[in-house]
Amino acid sequence: MKINFLDYTRRQFMKTAAIAAAAGAAPSALVSEAFASTEEERIIAAAKKLNPVGLRGMIWSNYMAAMKQAEAEFKKATGISVESIQDISIFVIPQRAMAEAVSRSDKFDFFHVDSNMIPSLASARLLEPLDKYMKQADFKINAVGDYGRFMTYQGNTYGVPTDGNVHVQFVRWDMVEAGKKAYEDKFGKSPAWPVTWEDDQQMMEFFHKPDEGVWGSANLRNRANGVTWWYMYFYSAGGFPFDNEMNPTINNAAGQYALETYLNIKKVSHPEAPGWGTPQMIPRMTQGNAFACQYWDGIISLAENPAKSKTVGKWKYGLVPGSRLSGKLVHRSISSPIAAILVNRYSPRKEQAAMMAMWWATLKNSASIVADRVNTFHDPWHKGHMTDSKVRAAYTPGGVDAIEQNLKVASPPIYLTGLLEFQDILAKNLSEAYVGQMPAKDVLPKTEEAWKKIVRRAGKKKLKGELASYKGVFPSVDVPS
Amino acid sequence: MNKRTKKRIFESFRYSTLTIWLLIVAFPLFWIVSTSFKPDAEWFAWPPVYWSETPTLANYANVWTGKEEYADTQYIQSMQKPWVALGNSTLIAFISTTLAVFFGSLIAYGVSRYQMLSEARMFQLLMLRMVPPIVIVAPLSLHYSTLKLLDTHLGLILVYFLTTLPYAVWMTKSFIDEVPVEVEQAAEILGASKLRTIWEVVLPLVRSGLVATFLFILILTWSEYLLALILSKTEVVTLPIELSKYEGSTEGRVYGRQAALAVGITIPLIIIGLFISKHLARGFSFGMVRK
Amino acid sequence: MSHPIGGGSFFSECVIFNARSFDLTLSQGRKMATVDHASENRGQPQRQLTQARAITRFKWLTLSPIVAIFVVVLVPALFLQLYFSFFGWTVYLGSWWEAEFVGLELFEEVLTDERLGWSIVRSLYFSIGSTIGCFIIGFGLALLMYKPFRGNGLYYIMFIIPMLTVPIVVAYTGEMLLYQKGPVNGILSWILGRDINVIWLADADLALTTVMMLEIWNWTPFSFIIMMAGLASLPKEPQEAAQILGAGKLRIFWEVQLPLLRPVIILALILRFLEAMAEYPKIWSLFQGGPGSASETIPVLIYLTTWNYFEISKGAAMSYVVMLLMIAIVLAAIWVLRREKSSLDKMYN
Repeated sequence: MKINFLDYTRRQFMKTAAIAAAAGAAPSALVSEAFASTEEERIIAAAKKLNPVGLRGMIWSNYMAAMKQAEAEFKKATGISVESIQDISIFVIPQRAMAEAVSRSDKFDFFHVDSNMIPSLASARLLEPLDKYMKQADFKINAVGDYGRFMTYQGNTYGVPTDGNVHVQFVRWDMVEAGKKAYEDKFGKSPAWPVTWEDDQQMMEFFHKPDEGVWGSANLRNRANGVTWWYMYFYSAGGFPFDNEMNPTINNAAGQYALETYLNIKKVSHPEAPGWGTPQMIPRMTQGNAFACQYWDGIISLAENPAKSKTVGKWKYGLVPGSRLSGKLVHRSISSPIAAILVNRYSPRKEQAAMMAMWWATLKNSASIVADRVNTFHDPWHKGHMTDSKVRAAYTPGGVDAIEQNLKVASPPIYLTGLLEFQDILAKNLSEAYVGQMPAKDVLPKTEEAWKKIVRRAGKKKLKGELASYKGVFPSVDVPS
Repeated sequence: MNKRTKKRIFESFRYSTLTIWLLIVAFPLFWIVSTSFKPDAEWFAWPPVYWSETPTLANYANVWTGKEEYADTQYIQSMQKPWVALGNSTLIAFISTTLAVFFGSLIAYGVSRYQMLSEARMFQLLMLRMVPPIVIVAPLSLHYSTLKLLDTHLGLILVYFLTTLPYAVWMTKSFIDEVPVEVEQAAEILGASKLRTIWEVVLPLVRSGLVATFLFILILTWSEYLLALILSKTEVVTLPIELSKYEGSTEGRVYGRQAALAVGITIPLIIIGLFISKHLARGFSFGMVRK
Repeated sequence: MSHPIGGGSFFSECVIFNARSFDLTLSQGRKMATVDHASENRGQPQRQLTQARAITRFKWLTLSPIVAIFVVVLVPALFLQLYFSFFGWTVYLGSWWEAEFVGLELFEEVLTDERLGWSIVRSLYFSIGSTIGCFIIGFGLALLMYKPFRGNGLYYIMFIIPMLTVPIVVAYTGEMLLYQKGPVNGILSWILGRDINVIWLADADLALTTVMMLEIWNWTPFSFIIMMAGLASLPKEPQEAAQILGAGKLRIFWEVQLPLLRPVIILALILRFLEAMAEYPKIWSLFQGGPGSASETIPVLIYLTTWNYFEISKGAAMSYVVMLLMIAIVLAAIWVLRREKSSLDKMYN
């Protein structure tokens, strides 16, 4: 990918120089170096100044598999490699990374973990800000929409993404078309793409046919994952979980709306749904037992893989529904967990780890990582992925467009220190209400009560200081173009 | 009803009851083996596939050899290290079990012959085992990190040794108690040294018990999960931890691979169990029954 | 295959002179006396002294490594735990050694925590249920098997295999077997001739019971083996005497065998109960506390508090409460065991 200067016409060169001048900030020598090379070369050049070392990371091998090839290339170019990994599930890594923070260990150089953990891990003083390394290699996180902000906290960049992992609306369009006549007869209108959660519910109820082995919804409602959906309902209804004084604000109209939407799905869900996580739900989607859902975008690649799926070509993908509760239509999708590389500040090899992280996130490398047809754990996030032919082949063009739309309105879970505790209380109460252990009316007040205690323990002042960061990672558009 | 029919009824009752439990025991085991030969679409099928029509060795090849035509996980294999985990588990389980049985039987001997520990102390010893590990594992990991014992074989061996020692003492004591003091005294009167007495007179008499104790403790350490989860990182992965890695967030759990690994984990224990099954039952009365 | 218990080499090799030699308390004095007697016989008071010294040396030799490991490994951890439960600290608040003293605040919070209360109730339900299940099945099987019969070797080996299976494997296998359209419901439907659709893994009312069943499957062999050993080592004379007096089999069982077995039974129950209280891998890998909070037992709650919420101090206080509870249970259990043992001793002396 080396650019030959002779290929540049004079005019093109002038144009790039003009842009560089407009960018302004960098000294001219650096500009020429920067423009003389590709993203990859700049990282290699910066990394070559460092000692070649073997890195140790906490990363799930399912993710690492697709990153292995780029890692091997980086080793060849710079001598920096990943020497050993603690291979554990991405859902366990937050806890284990935190254990590292407790003991201030330098055992690991990087953690491949949900970037929504950044506030908690940074508060525990585990994370190294990456901005200065990014400057050294003139590297930018070039993500779709406002997605890159997910890596920032209190003005610093703490992570480099490897995975978009946004929720996308899935609808079995073949069923919609087959049932069009009956739908029109019943509702007096043609079935259309669901714009609001109410539309979504109505369609799922109509196409819910358990006798034929088709359930209306494949949304997760287990204790570990169900809460992810609640955020979409809540944010799109105009809710935000805290006021400026860090008092919980979920026991209100938006919260009620989200709770009702959450519980309504029970009518169209499989009776085993309260116990199902992805291991149980995904086969149901790809074996044709589900009509619609919001689900992580990685499943598109799986659902369109003829070797593994019975539903190739049957799904239509698009923007998740929104809500008009706040007076205007707002769509909010969610990215959780977002797998990103975070660097341990106690590590003596943190610079090398930062270089490796950036290397994985260049357009060329990340495109081949997310387009891996076999290890489908990483999903598109880079602007360039949206037009990359390999990515579009793996996710289908319709799938990639849907991903792009949803990334533009992707929102975080509770992006504050203490995420897991805030979230688990909510998840527990939601799950109890779903299975009937707790009356629905108790969910929001009980959650607020528990949250108040957490706020007190983690420090109200500290959390208030984080609110701006939390609000800052929200998307700036309500309805993506 | 004469005695004969009574006996026959009892016999058929006995065999049918035992066979029902035998089936309950065997079915999950059968399912593990059967799953280990299934291709991935059949792992979690509606309706279930009892025995695959297209059995495959891919799961075994994938898990245990790492080289295989199945492109599926070619990168993952290079990182999953079941043989290393097997080595770790073997090393840790055997060393800690040997230590526990060795010290346990010595203490048991001392208690049995010389009342080295009072009865109250003996019962207190049980507490080492009886407090659930979850209540101590958090500060232990912090303490281990300062001792540099985190993620080392020694670290796990030490906790396993301590937590299984009570069982070792109690079980071996019940055997040593059964060896009459007079036998030893006779040997000593004949001029044998204490050590020789223990080695040549007591040891052969309690061999069965030691073997049973050894196996039981080996089972406990071999399958221990929580301590291994928290106290290990990259270097000392044990089999139960290795096993829980075979799951996927986007493709569902990889049951076939897990099953192939599970078969490999369980078979060594079953073989050991077979060899010593005749010793096994002896070790478990804990000295609570009178002859 | 020879019967695993009867006629083993052990019995033939071992000549039992002294049936009482294994008991703990009452034989103490007697045994010492025997030893003393032996030494006096040879008229060597010197030897007695050296022997006492040798015993002390032996005691130190065997106990000191264990005490050392205990002091180095566990004691500091226990003190750290104590420190954390009096000094409020979460990971976000500076270094742990700079934590603020909060007195009994954490204990107060933990003791009034409804969630901990329910998790104790769930743990007790799970442990008592699985203990009784293991025991009834294990004892039943042992009763049918302790006298040799054709094929006993095969049954015996098959019956102990579940204990050799790693708990994590049991959990995953349970997941493969128990889904609604899965093989267990399929086989039940076939046997009962109607459609069985039990929701084993997602029904909040059933989830904990499902894990209990897996626990019973996993650990029945333990109770089975203990009871086999107990039955096999029962003295024959009282039974024969009862038989001669014309007692029926059932009566012999109730009035002769069962009382003799009582200490073993209690031991089997106590050990199993305490191990079940600590059960973590199956519950966690199947449910993580859900559905709802149906499977949030003590170990799950402590794990969540410490490793998900990073409330190290709250987790520590919780741990101490649980530890004290467990110690109370263990002490009660020990008291029962000792009483059983001494009443047995009295019966025979």
